[in-house]
Amino acid sequence: MSIKLNNVSFTYMSGTTMAHQALRDITLEIKKGEIVALVGHTGSGKSTLIQIMKGLLHPDAGQVTVEDGEVGMVFQYPEAQLFAETVYEDIAFGPRNQQKSPEQVDVAVKNALQFVGLDFDEFSQRNPLRLSGGQMRRVAIAGVIAMEPDYLILDEPSSGLDPLGRHNLFAKIMALYKEKSPAVILVTHSMEEAATYANRMIVMEEGAILFDGKPAQVFTEHREELLNLGLEEPEVYQLHYLLANRGMQLPMVQDEEQLFKEIKTAKGWR
Amino acid sequence: MILIKNLKHIYKDSQNQEVEALKDINLEIADGEFVAIIGANGCGKSTLAKHLNGLLLPTEGEVSVDGLNTADMDNLFQIRQKVGMVFQNPDNQIVAAVVEEDVAFGPENIGVPSEEILERVNNALMAVDMLPYAKHAPHRLSGGQKQRVAVAGILALEPKYIVWDEPTAMLDPAGRREVLHTALRLNKEKHITMIYITHYMTEALQADRVIVMSRGSVVMQGSPKEIFSQNKLLEKYSLEAPLAVRMSDKLRQRGAKLSEQIITNQELAEGLCPSN
Repeated sequence: MSIKLNNVSFTYMSGTTMAHQALRDITLEIKKGEIVALVGHTGSGKSTLIQIMKGLLHPDAGQVTVEDGEVGMVFQYPEAQLFAETVYEDIAFGPRNQQKSPEQVDVAVKNALQFVGLDFDEFSQRNPLRLSGGQMRRVAIAGVIAMEPDYLILDEPSSGLDPLGRHNLFAKIMALYKEKSPAVILVTHSMEEAATYANRMIVMEEGAILFDGKPAQVFTEHREELLNLGLEEPEVYQLHYLLANRGMQLPMVQDEEQLFKEIKTAKGWR
Repeated sequence: MILIKNLKHIYKDSQNQEVEALKDINLEIADGEFVAIIGANGCGKSTLAKHLNGLLLPTEGEVSVDGLNTADMDNLFQIRQKVGMVFQNPDNQIVAAVVEEDVAFGPENIGVPSEEILERVNNALMAVDMLPYAKHAPHRLSGGQKQRVAVAGILALEPKYIVWDEPTAMLDPAGRREVLHTALRLNKEKHITMIYITHYMTEALQADRVIVMSRGSVVMQGSPKEIFSQNKLLEKYSLEAPLAVRMSDKLRQRGAKLSEQIITNQELAEGLCPSN
């Protein structure tokens, strides 16, 4: 199962003097089971692309095919979109729209709250707008999780969270991924997140796909171009580059643990 | 100098429970310093920031700016001119439809003569590298540019201190660099004292002094080297040391002879592959 885009283009305010082409002839397939990091600086077309995948915008040209399944989207600062009077009602909104029975809705809400680590008895009847920022975000994410999406789009899910909050959030997302293996499409400014969690990275620039591949490969092979685009280099790849540049013999590495092993090997330490 | 003595701040939450957001904070911020404050969400760093210009007042203890106590209403006007604040969301800080009018808003408000306002606006926009955008509409600028306009609005009031409350949290990497470099440059060139709150350890690396907060208290403070070399302690406070520190620790356990002073990748690369 996959989302397929064939020759998709999109222009904002088409036909006016303010027309701005946001996507140029994008052809792309994202399969269930992939974790795709979508990166690129502000205005590169990432947001337009995910709105097209979710069906919020319709392409001017080309086709979008979502092979049967639900596309769930967690917007940036999702806490801003909480609306119901209780946490329960807020999370139940999606599953009810999917025509689930009250019993099924109840199970979905309970599972979703448990998933984001909020106690059902303590939180289900609270007003979501009076929770802490971190709790509100978890309720908003629970609302999307409750719909059991096959394709889960997350737009900057960790922005504004501290390192521990980010770590906890991604631990949850990865647990969900392991259990249900949806496609996860992660829009992020953080190259660290892309490198750590994704198995595929798509770099966008001026409405087109510039690079598409495994994160380690894209970072290693296109270092200069990525830096020129204003994207930051993950610490692991930066250290790898600096060491290689100073003459250490190192193969390509994916993460911190591998780099540690390769340094030990290169230095002959055990 | 900003002096914080036995500062305690207690508020009531939505369930009417008392929450102790700050517990007995004692700090001195010297003129010309660049101080970074880091800590997990909810550690009290934003609450502390809001005490520095009297947006919040101490439940106990006191905060004074150049000897002016924030609890004295008569001092507030003067204190707010001395201490500017930059917040997280640039969109909430911009009031006018044209950049230069936005920057002029502050000085107009405090009654600066109009011929002087123009000069202040131009100088402020120049200082943040935004003079070419003087006639532009703020809403069409990038996040980093908007933040710099917000900073220009503060500079036009000629502050002695600027408090930055996670100014880069909503920006992309390019915007983050712009904002951090602006803060560093204004500190160096205009000697404005900076109190810079951030989630990004890489930003705090650039400060003169790093203050770590946890659960309403200051738990560590020192130079970036002193703070970021303490991997275990940082973890305890839900923070993460830079990769170079974590990696050096692990390599030392395997027999590597690496200085405890290493906190950047550059330093670690030099330590592992010394040039001849």
